[in-house]
Amino acid sequence: MGDKSNRTMNVLIVGVGGQGVIMVSKVLAQLCQADGHDVKQSEVHGMAKRGGGVFSHVRFGPKVWSPTIPEGEVDILVALEWAEGLRWLKHLKPDTGTFIADCQKIVPPFACRNRKRGAEPAYAPQTPEEIIEQVHAGYVMDATGMAANLGNARASNTVLLGALSTVLDFPEEAWVEIIAATVPAKSVEANRAAFAEGRAWAMGGEKRIDVTASGLHKAHSEMHHPQVDTILEITEEWCKGCDICVKMCPERCLRLNDLLKAELALPDLCTGCQLCAWLCPDQAIRVTNIPVTEAAE
Amino acid sequence: MTATLRNLEGNEACALGAIRAGCRFFAGYPITPSSEVAEVMARELPRVGGTFIQMEDEIASMGAVIGASMGGVKAMTATSGPGFSLKQENLGYACGAEIPCVIVNVMRGGPSTGMPTRPAQGDIMQARWGTHGDHAIIVLAPASVAEAYSETIRAVELSETLRVPVVVLLDEVIGHLTETVDLAAVPEAPEVWRSFATGPREGFQPYAVTDDLIPPMPRPGDGYRAHCTGLTHAPGGFPTQVPEVATAAVTRTTDKLVHHRERIESWQVQDAEDSDLLIVAIGISARAARQAVRDLRAEGLKIGLFRPVTLWPFPEEALRETVARSGAKAVLVPEMNQGQLVLEVERVLAGRAPALRLNRIDGQPITPDDIADRAREALK
Amino acid sequence: MKDTADATAFDVNDWIRQDQMPHFLCPGCGHGIALRALVWALHEQGIDKDKLAVVSGIGCSGRLSAYIDANTFHTTHGRPLTFATGLKLARPDLTVVVITGDGDCLAIGGNHLIHAARRNLDITCVMLNNEIYGMTGGQVSPTTSGGRYTSTTPMGNSEPTFDACALATAAGAGFVGREVTMQVLALRDLLKQALAHPGFSFVEVLSDCTEIYGRKNDLGASPEMMLAKKSEMRPFAYRNTVDVPFRPNHLRTGVIARNDRPEYGAAYRTMAAGLHGEKGDA
Repeated sequence: MGDKSNRTMNVLIVGVGGQGVIMVSKVLAQLCQADGHDVKQSEVHGMAKRGGGVFSHVRFGPKVWSPTIPEGEVDILVALEWAEGLRWLKHLKPDTGTFIADCQKIVPPFACRNRKRGAEPAYAPQTPEEIIEQVHAGYVMDATGMAANLGNARASNTVLLGALSTVLDFPEEAWVEIIAATVPAKSVEANRAAFAEGRAWAMGGEKRIDVTASGLHKAHSEMHHPQVDTILEITEEWCKGCDICVKMCPERCLRLNDLLKAELALPDLCTGCQLCAWLCPDQAIRVTNIPVTEAAE
Repeated sequence: MTATLRNLEGNEACALGAIRAGCRFFAGYPITPSSEVAEVMARELPRVGGTFIQMEDEIASMGAVIGASMGGVKAMTATSGPGFSLKQENLGYACGAEIPCVIVNVMRGGPSTGMPTRPAQGDIMQARWGTHGDHAIIVLAPASVAEAYSETIRAVELSETLRVPVVVLLDEVIGHLTETVDLAAVPEAPEVWRSFATGPREGFQPYAVTDDLIPPMPRPGDGYRAHCTGLTHAPGGFPTQVPEVATAAVTRTTDKLVHHRERIESWQVQDAEDSDLLIVAIGISARAARQAVRDLRAEGLKIGLFRPVTLWPFPEEALRETVARSGAKAVLVPEMNQGQLVLEVERVLAGRAPALRLNRIDGQPITPDDIADRAREALK
Repeated sequence: MKDTADATAFDVNDWIRQDQMPHFLCPGCGHGIALRALVWALHEQGIDKDKLAVVSGIGCSGRLSAYIDANTFHTTHGRPLTFATGLKLARPDLTVVVITGDGDCLAIGGNHLIHAARRNLDITCVMLNNEIYGMTGGQVSPTTSGGRYTSTTPMGNSEPTFDACALATAAGAGFVGREVTMQVLALRDLLKQALAHPGFSFVEVLSDCTEIYGRKNDLGASPEMMLAKKSEMRPFAYRNTVDVPFRPNHLRTGVIARNDRPEYGAAYRTMAAGLHGEKGDA
């Protein structure tokens, strides 16, 4: 892989806004260009904002015609975020593709269908072990944790570049040189270390999983989102039926009853956000959120 | 001259009297002929740890005085006719909410801007009824600089102990008159304060009906967290429109002054043991009357003088008694207006003796000769 | 979101006089929301209720003081700033908050506002602007928007309005800010800053009179009025963004002005202390 055959190499880099997908693809594209390849890079970014999906196609070889990679033709898929990696997995070549992923999970807002505190979001449930089984070669690493251990979690993309460097046939010095030219002067050293860390880790084998570099990125269910019980009390005598709580509730779970007093019609939808209490001109609503564990004790 | 003898102007005496009585806050606005009160206060108050402020207008100075008093500090303001008119709104608040405060009103020619530098006694009725609605108020009318001093002290004390606004009603002549005053004539006495609320905070009622009809006043910071309003309020301090409660609330404040009438009323009589004619006058007119009485007595005419020092509530019992005792067939009321004091005198005497009038509204004080001439004419 | 076990957690019921509730305001009146934001800010600033004096004027806004569990003074129309000035000067140890309205503060009390701002005494003045004299039946006020119908502008209002914040700023107020009731948390935080500022602080709260103003002008129910008002605002931080020319009628919200002129009361006491010394030495 990475040899200077007539074949075009296809690398797809994916992640979410703010992670540094573009930086990874720029480094790779420059490296290929410097090495004498014809390079095409195309990307989607900008509209995704922070937290939204971003991807970048890098194709290189003696002559590249199309800027985008067809489905099932990706040689190397670099994922800066776990679910984004899974989203693009079907683009990977089934027999020869290499999957390099950070196990970092960034749960997008639209994955939170249920807005109750502590509710499980609709996030990809697949484990790294299941995925590694499906690919020809795979590296699932805690790049963010490794970068954090080095002092700057934002250098996770460079850790992944280090891993990527082990599956492409470019000299290590060339990588380092391009990275140094790309990142801001003050973070050159940090990125150099991050690159070395990722490269050393990936040398350890073709199907490697290590998601334990730091305790930063637990599975969502392990994260500290205390389950809470929400108690919403309405002082009927004070309520004047102004309709503010009913109309302003993001979940639309309140209504005015026959006496034109507010009441909680759909308690299951109530997230305990307190907006109704804040906006009640009559101080008639009290929202109390009680952690479930405490209540159980 | 001993240390306690001072040459003082009436306005200055008011200021010094107030400070002696413990007044530590003054808010005012420049107006002739009362500005000297503010000027002396501006100079003296910071020396005794008090605060002077010149506010943006007369209304504001009255508001600030009430605010300071609500904070538990003795407070006073001074003004004259047009300013007194402007103060009436907030003065009514002090009456309704029973906030102690003293207002010096140095009377000048009116109506409106009138004759700012000329004396008058045209605010006698305004001082009693200037603010709207039924209310209790005390008005003191000094007739000398010494009295401006002592009556201002008394004004502060009455205001504090009775929780009622007190007006010190000077005329321009007394305000700008300089006399030698013996400050020691007012004996040293412990400082008089309103009674502040003590006792349980739970269930505290800022306008509770007490035996003396004077509810102790909650002071911010003492933990009572009471409400104070110009709306007619129940004993709890909150507004009410319950007919009986509203009646009781206003009635208590007016009954209060009736109940403590003896402490409030003050008057002076001269040669009133046997008088065919009794003169009733206040302020500078009373001083002219005093001279007239002496002159007429020298002529052998039986003339006496009754001078209310407390103008409101009018010492009516005392006047009726004095008239009865002296056997006066008539009373003469010289005043520098078209006839205000005489209306009260007529009401009080209710036909027991006719009330004759002597009025000047030309910006000139009534002279002893004016009064003597009128008296001779009346006794013919 | 606060844990119930947290002793410092804010509960509006700790700050309002339970025995006076429900309050007398109309259904959907924005003043009720402002009341919560104010006591919330007081709570978070750690203000001692015993040392808090709330002074209000006349009108719908004036009645709010009666519902706050503190030393409260419901004074005369337009004059709360004057009472507050006397109170604060006499009792510098108190936190003095004034609650006033657009008519109370800008019409009958306009003179007091500009002088309080000029003097810079440490008072926090919260002006609830609902563009109307609500309590007297919906007459035009100095902030009634152009063309609006009120009971004294049957042909629509043709008078220009005051920008209260610009007025207070020009007069020298130490802190000036504006917020809508819809943004409860932002309003609370703005009030916290105002309370913390040593000097005269002026906060204009854009409130809604639903029952009178809203009905007369067909502005919808409370939620619609609140949302509409919010959409007319723009945070002060965005004052120079490119869309300004396309939103000519917007009002700025947030902190609008701030200065560090000397606080009047402290300056007076410092000078008076000098006098004490002079006298003592003589």
